[in-house]
Amino acid sequence: MAGAGGGGNDIQWCFSQVKGAVDDDVAEADIISTVEFNHSGELLATGDKGGRVVIFQQEQENKIQSLSRGEYNVYSTFQSHEPEFDYLKSLEIEEKINKIRWLPQKNAAQFLLSTNDKTIKLWKISERDKRPEGYNLKEEDGRYRDPSTVTTLRVPVLRPMDLMVEASPRRIFANAHTYHINSISSNSDYETYLSADDLRINLWHLEITDRSFNIVDIKPANMEELTEVITAAEFHPNSCNTFVYSSSKGTIRLCDMRASALCDRHSKLFEEPEDPSNRSFFSEIISSISDVKFSHSGRYMMTRDYLSVKIWDLNMENRPVETYQVHEYLRSKLCSLYENDCIFDKFECCWNGSDSVVMTGSYNNFFRMFDRNTKRDITLEASRENNKPRTVLKPRKVCASGKRKKDEISVDSLDFNKKILHTAWHPKENIIAVATTNNLYIFQDKVN
Amino acid sequence: MLVARLRFMLGRGLKRKLSDYEENMAGLSSAFDSSRNLPYSLKRQLVLNMCLTKLQTYKMVVEPNLHRSVLIANTVRQIQEEMRQESSQQPVNVCNGIAPNPLSYPGIDSSGISLHLPSGSNQQESNGCNSWSAEGPIENSLLMVSDDDMSSAISSILKDLDFMEDISPPTSLVPAGDDEPKSPESTCLKLEDDRQDLKGAECVFGSFEISNSTSYLKDLAIDDIFEDIDTSMYDSDFCVPPLMTPRPPSSATEETLKTFPSCNSSSANNIPICRTDLSELDHIMEILVGS
Repeated sequence: MAGAGGGGNDIQWCFSQVKGAVDDDVAEADIISTVEFNHSGELLATGDKGGRVVIFQQEQENKIQSLSRGEYNVYSTFQSHEPEFDYLKSLEIEEKINKIRWLPQKNAAQFLLSTNDKTIKLWKISERDKRPEGYNLKEEDGRYRDPSTVTTLRVPVLRPMDLMVEASPRRIFANAHTYHINSISSNSDYETYLSADDLRINLWHLEITDRSFNIVDIKPANMEELTEVITAAEFHPNSCNTFVYSSSKGTIRLCDMRASALCDRHSKLFEEPEDPSNRSFFSEIISSISDVKFSHSGRYMMTRDYLSVKIWDLNMENRPVETYQVHEYLRSKLCSLYENDCIFDKFECCWNGSDSVVMTGSYNNFFRMFDRNTKRDITLEASRENNKPRTVLKPRKVCASGKRKKDEISVDSLDFNKKILHTAWHPKENIIAVATTNNLYIFQDKVN
Repeated sequence: MLVARLRFMLGRGLKRKLSDYEENMAGLSSAFDSSRNLPYSLKRQLVLNMCLTKLQTYKMVVEPNLHRSVLIANTVRQIQEEMRQESSQQPVNVCNGIAPNPLSYPGIDSSGISLHLPSGSNQQESNGCNSWSAEGPIENSLLMVSDDDMSSAISSILKDLDFMEDISPPTSLVPAGDDEPKSPESTCLKLEDDRQDLKGAECVFGSFEISNSTSYLKDLAIDDIFEDIDTSMYDSDFCVPPLMTPRPPSSATEETLKTFPSCNSSSANNIPICRTDLSELDHIMEILVGS
């Protein structure tokens, strides 16, 4: 797979589609909160703050023509979670979808896990394009016939009908988390998955909803001693006994479930010593890891903290093998970003299918890609201004200080309300989905 | 829902008062970022004030964000530890320069800023030190926080976050401060102004309950809050949301109708009347930005 951007053999990213309302006035419920491709890349799911899941399906026909890769069109929309009120604790439980994870496909139907702060649901998305006709005891409209009027018997036949996509909740995994769920991750054993909140991680079996195993618990006996919370967790893509979780202190712990039932003692601890020259009052806050993702190969993992993306080799714990600065120009603005709470924004990151390029979001609707082989990076913008299909995106540049060149943007004119927190990369092709506040952009590489 | 509506109404009321304060804070934080000449201790104080303000805001929310609270609490602890180390290393009469600190941050500006230590704290008092250097009104009006304030503030926040585990009526709006006896001065942030007499302890922090600031609600008759809420479904035995949890020490029936049950004179007996009055904070902010 080709690289991130720039000249030569590198990819040129083109606008493909944009989904969502055009207005600047964003309805709160439409704010996109998660984006995820399924394992084949044919389906793209988004979750929003209103608790809805929208699934897009890639058209198959155009792929043969190779003018462009197939477009993504709405396949299914359903309300996954509703707002709830916990009467016991007088708390509102938000219906916002925190994460969606697809399960590997086992039969004709598709399955995904979606979660809000407290409850995880397993949804089955299935197609129906035939229906039986010619029942003996029922009329076509469903009314029952009087058995005495039946004179002959016939076998119902299946006739084609318009495609109907049905989403039905198959399992509801509730009441296992006191704190807010931030991650779910399906295991490679195809039977279990984990869910993580601020202080605990639970292991579930997909078939069993009334109980789960607690595998990590970092809650101190005395809450006053709490100094660290869990921020993300993921199963290893190949080893079904291995998972990692990241913390607000910038550490990642790798745990092996074979070692003990409660994995409070890590097998490996990944932590980079702090750079003393970069020390500030906000050092700890910006070291908090907002996302952790294994590479497809399982050999590396990537973490995202406020200013950088780090790639870790699982065999080396004391420092990352690669570090990429996402928006270093913000380091001198940390106090303002702390004041307006932007410093707590949780950016996600993702790998491309071959693990050669990583991508993450930034402010001003910018997103960044880093090519691990060429060491080149590119900044692109998700904006409706470039909305002609096959328009190549122009690289953007932020001017940190000094003279601003033409086409550069100065740090002070960045819009911090336009943040790209969620991005996803097709597992096989160069197609990316980038979510701005309430719009979903799909970009593809230029196909000649 | 009753709780949601009250939160909404209180949030709006607070927002009106906080908006000016927030605007001033935004100005200060960009000053922090852009200015190289701000003395280190002033920067640290600014950050500390921002942290404490945020923590206070979170306290008023029914379910504060645990991740953010922990990060902010850690920042406060870190600053507190640094200040403690500095004060333990400095001689009592510090008037010129800052004593060398092994944890010193780069960019310390050691122009005669001294640390004026609040009385009543467990730090050494700068006895007889006319410690205000002639740096101008900003240093003279620094908001000082004692060790006890910060420790108790962090403790109370984290303890309250633990309430989520409890089945019993949540204690999130019951001030932790009521559970711990505190010395009068240690609950307060002190505003020092060289030009005026001490106005009295200003409690931004105190016991984290805005019930201590009766000024918020005094222009709202209690009945107004509830007049369009249908309470017919609540009988007298219903254990209503935390805002109305009956407080053991108070027996007056009207306590259960008050928005903040601990807003009563009996609980204030042991604590001097600390008024979290943001109009006075506005005044402080004006002084700080030198307007």
